[in-house]
Amino acid sequence: MSTLTLVDVGVKYSRRSASALTGHFDTVVSGEWLGLIGPNGAGKSSLLKAIVGLVGHTGEILMDGVALSSMSDRERAGRVAYVSQDPLIPDDMTAREYALLGRTPYIGYFGSPSRRDRMVVDDVLERLCLREFAHRMMGELSGGERQRIVLARALAQQAPILLLDEPTSALDIGHQQQALELVTELRRTEQLTIISALHDLTLAGTYTDRLTMLNQGSVVVSGSAEDVLTAERLGEIYHVCVTVEHDEGQVIVVPRRGFPA
Amino acid sequence: MSGEQHDTRWFTAGGVFVLFAVVIGVSIGPAGPDWWRVPLELVNRLPLIDFETGVSDADWAIVWKVRMPRVVLGGLVGGMLSIAGASYQGVFRNPLVDPYLLGSAAGAGLGATIALTIGRDATSTWPIDPVPTIAFIFALATVMVTYTVGAAFGGSRSGVTLVLAGVAVVSFTSAMQTFILQRNVEVIREVFRWILGSLSRADWGDVWLVIPYVAVSTVVLLLHRRHLDVFRVGDEEAATLGVSVARTRLVIVIAATFGTAAVVSVSGLIGFVGLVVPHIVRMVAGAGYRRVLPLSLMGGAGFLILADVPGRMIARPAETPIGVVTAFIGAPFFLYLLRTRRIGA
Amino acid sequence: MRSQERHTRKKFSGVLITLGLAVAACGGGSDSTSELADTAAPAQTPPPADTEPPADTEAPPETEAPANTEDSPERVISLSPTHTEIMFAIGAGDQLVAVDQFSNFPAEALELPNELSGFEPNIEEIAAFEPDLVLIGGDFTGLGDQLAELGIASWDGPAAATIEDTYAQIEQLGAATGRVGDAVEVVSSMQTQLEETLDAAPATEEPLKIYHEVDSTYFSADSTSFIGEVYSAFGLENIADRAEGDNFGFPQLNAEVIISSNPDLIFVPCGNFCTTTSDDVSARPGWDAIAAVQNGNVIEADEDIASRWGPRIVDYYTAVAAAIQQAAVAA
Repeated sequence: MSTLTLVDVGVKYSRRSASALTGHFDTVVSGEWLGLIGPNGAGKSSLLKAIVGLVGHTGEILMDGVALSSMSDRERAGRVAYVSQDPLIPDDMTAREYALLGRTPYIGYFGSPSRRDRMVVDDVLERLCLREFAHRMMGELSGGERQRIVLARALAQQAPILLLDEPTSALDIGHQQQALELVTELRRTEQLTIISALHDLTLAGTYTDRLTMLNQGSVVVSGSAEDVLTAERLGEIYHVCVTVEHDEGQVIVVPRRGFPA
Repeated sequence: MSGEQHDTRWFTAGGVFVLFAVVIGVSIGPAGPDWWRVPLELVNRLPLIDFETGVSDADWAIVWKVRMPRVVLGGLVGGMLSIAGASYQGVFRNPLVDPYLLGSAAGAGLGATIALTIGRDATSTWPIDPVPTIAFIFALATVMVTYTVGAAFGGSRSGVTLVLAGVAVVSFTSAMQTFILQRNVEVIREVFRWILGSLSRADWGDVWLVIPYVAVSTVVLLLHRRHLDVFRVGDEEAATLGVSVARTRLVIVIAATFGTAAVVSVSGLIGFVGLVVPHIVRMVAGAGYRRVLPLSLMGGAGFLILADVPGRMIARPAETPIGVVTAFIGAPFFLYLLRTRRIGA
Repeated sequence: MRSQERHTRKKFSGVLITLGLAVAACGGGSDSTSELADTAAPAQTPPPADTEPPADTEAPPETEAPANTEDSPERVISLSPTHTEIMFAIGAGDQLVAVDQFSNFPAEALELPNELSGFEPNIEEIAAFEPDLVLIGGDFTGLGDQLAELGIASWDGPAAATIEDTYAQIEQLGAATGRVGDAVEVVSSMQTQLEETLDAAPATEEPLKIYHEVDSTYFSADSTSFIGEVYSAFGLENIADRAEGDNFGFPQLNAEVIISSNPDLIFVPCGNFCTTTSDDVSARPGWDAIAAVQNGNVIEADEDIASRWGPRIVDYYTAVAAAIQQAAVAA
C-alpha cells in the first residue's frame, strides 16, 4: 500500500532547453491506477523518469511521506519498478535471465539469486504465458514477446509502485489485452499503485482510475475518463479529429477522417 | 539447477585447459630435454613415483628454474588481462574494449620510459629494479587522471564519456613518452623491448611480486560477476534496478586496473589477450558473466602460456616478443569480430 | 590498437638505430673504408682507398699526400668515442675542440665541450665550433654530405670489423692530423703487446667456451664481431656461433640455450653504473648449473672498451688472458 505524492515537480534537461515539466502537483493514492496522456513531448516520460530517479527534478517526490531521493538506489528499486519506453535488451541473454534481473534489489551485493527469486520469476513468466520462452535468447524473440518479458522483469521486482512507459506499444491486440488484464489483476492482488503513459486513449481510459492530460509540461486537466476525454479537448490538444462514444461506462475514442478545425 | 551443473562442467574444462597449457609450456623450448620426456619427468617428480626418464639435472634446472616461472607468470598475466578485459567490456558495455582502455598501459610505458631515462640516476642506488615499481605507479596515476577528467565531464554517469577521456589521456601520455624518447635515443631499444612485452626474464621474484595484486583483483572482480550482468541492460535501467552505477563501476574499474597495472609493470604491454579471450569465451560458453569471468581467467592463462611457446621457438635462439605473437593471432581475430558482430549490440 | 601501430612504426626505426648502434659499437659486417668528404679546402689527407695496413712491418703506411704540419687541422671535432681515444693516443688531443657526449676517455676529453650527439648530430651545433675536420664513427645520417655543403671536411670511420681495421683507422687519423709517426708507433706498440699477451696465454686441452653478454636480453657477440675476434684470437669457442642465420655479429640467445651450452667463461659488460653485475648474472634462476658460474668465472668487462675499437682494446686482450688463466685452473 503506497501513496505517491508529487510536490511542485519540474524537470529541465539542460539550462538552455525549455522545461520538460513544470510545477506538477499530484497525489496518487495507494492502489490507484493513474494514466498519463498527452501529445508527444508533453512531459509524460519525463515525469516517470523523475519518479524513478533517472533524471534530476525540482520539487519533491514522496512515497508514503518519505522522499524518494533520500532513499538508497536499492531501497528505491524495491519501491518503484519502471518499464522504459525503449528498453535496452541484450540479444545474448535468455528470457529467464532477463526477467531475473528484476530481482536485483533483493539480492545481496555479493549474493546470487535464491530459489525464492527464481520462483517469483517463474511465476510471473507463467502468468504472462511466457514459460515456453524462458530459455530462448532475447535476440530470437519477436518485439511483442520481448516487451512482455520486459514487463515480466518489472513485475518480478514486486515493487508497490509500478511505472509503465508505453508498455504495450509493440503488442498485438490480443497480447495487449492480456498484459493489461494481468496488470489489473496484480494491482488487485499485490495492491500496486500504477502510473502509466499510454498512447492509446481508449485503453488508457478503460484500464485506469484517473487520467492526467499533459501538454508542453503542464497539466491540462485531471479527472475521470468521461471528464477528460472530450472531442473538443482532444481536438484542441492533439490537433486531431475524433468522436467520443460512451458504451456501458467505457469511453471510446474513435478517430475520424479529415483535419481538425 | 542445470545451469549450475553446466557451470561446473565448464570450469572443469577451463582447469584442464590451463593444466594442459602448463605442461606444454614447460615441455617445449629451444634447448633442454626432449619435449616428450618432460611430462614423464613431471610425473616422476611426484612423491612415491620413481622411474627413469633420461632427464639430467642440468636439463631439469632448465625446466624448473627457467621455464616454470615463465609459465606461471604467463598464466598470471594472461589470466589477469583477460578477466580485466572481460570486466571492462561488461562495465562499459562495449565489446571493443581492452584492459588498457583507461590508460594503464600508456601510463606504465611512460613510467618505464622515465625510469630508464630521467630517473636512471636517481634510482641507480635502489636495491630492486626500479622499472616495474615506477611503471606501476604511473599506470595507476594515469587511470586516476582519466577517471578525474572523465568525471569532470559527467563520466561517472556515462560510460562513453569515460572511454573518450581514456582515449584523450592515452594519446597525451603516449605523446609525452615519445617526446622523452626522442631526447634519449640511446634507450629506445630498451624501452621498446619492454613495451613489446616479454616473459623471457621471468623469475620467481616477479611471480611473488605480482601474485597479491592479481589475487585481490581477481577475487573482487569475481565477486562482482552478477553486477556485470545487470550492466548489460544499460546504465539507466541498471540504476532503476537498484544498482549504484557510478560506485559499482568505480569499484570494478579500480580492481581491474590494479591487477592490470601490476602485470603490465612486470611483463610489459601484451596486447590483444584482454580483448580477444573474453570474446572467444562468450562464443563458446555464452555471454553470462557468471561464466565469462572465471572462464576468461582460465582461458587467458592458458592462452598466454601457449602463445609464449612460438615466441621462444620461431626465431630461436632469439626471442620473438610475446606481444608480437599475440598481435599475429589477435589482429585477424579482431577483424573477424568486426565482421560478424554488430557494434553496439 | 592505435598505440600498437605507432609502436610498431617506432619499433622499426628503433631497430634501424639499434643496428647503427650495434654496428658502430662493436663492429659489424661493414667494410671499414674511410671516406673523406672535402670540397673547397685543399686536400690535406690521403684519398679514400682500400686499406692495406702493414701488419708486421715498421715502415710507414702508404699515403699519397704526406701530412704537412702547417696544413694539419687544428679544430677537429670527434663524434665518436673511439676516435677521441685514438686522437689522444696519437698525441693529437690538442687539435680537438669538441667531442661527443659519450667520449669519456682519457680524462682530458672530459675537459672539452662534450655535448654533441653522435647518433643524431645537429649540424648547426657542429658548425658553431667552426671545425676544419669532423670525425664520424659511421655516417648513417648523411652528415658528411651536409657538412660538405657547408664546406667542412669530414672523415668517416665506421665500426671496425677486425683489429686490422683499427690499425688502419689509427694510421689514417695520424695522416689526417699530421701525426703520422705517432700513429705508426701506436700501431706497432699495440701489435707487440697483442703478440705477447697471446703468447703468454695458457693453452687448454679443450678450448674453453665463452659467452659474451651484450645486454640483459641475452644479445651476444659472435666470432664475426669485433669483440668476438678477441676471443677467437685466444682460441676460445664462442657459444654465440651456434646461432643460425645472419645476425650481423650479434645474435640474441636465450637462457635455455646458454645454460645448455655451459660456457666456462662469461663476460658481462659493466660501465660506471653497472646495471648487471656478475652477481646478478650468477643469481639468475637455473644459471647455477653453468660451469662459469660454479667456478666464479663471470667477469665484469669494461663496457666502454668492449664497445669501442680503439687502442685500449689491448687492455681487453689482457683481461681475457687473465680470465683464461683463472678458468684454466678450474677446467
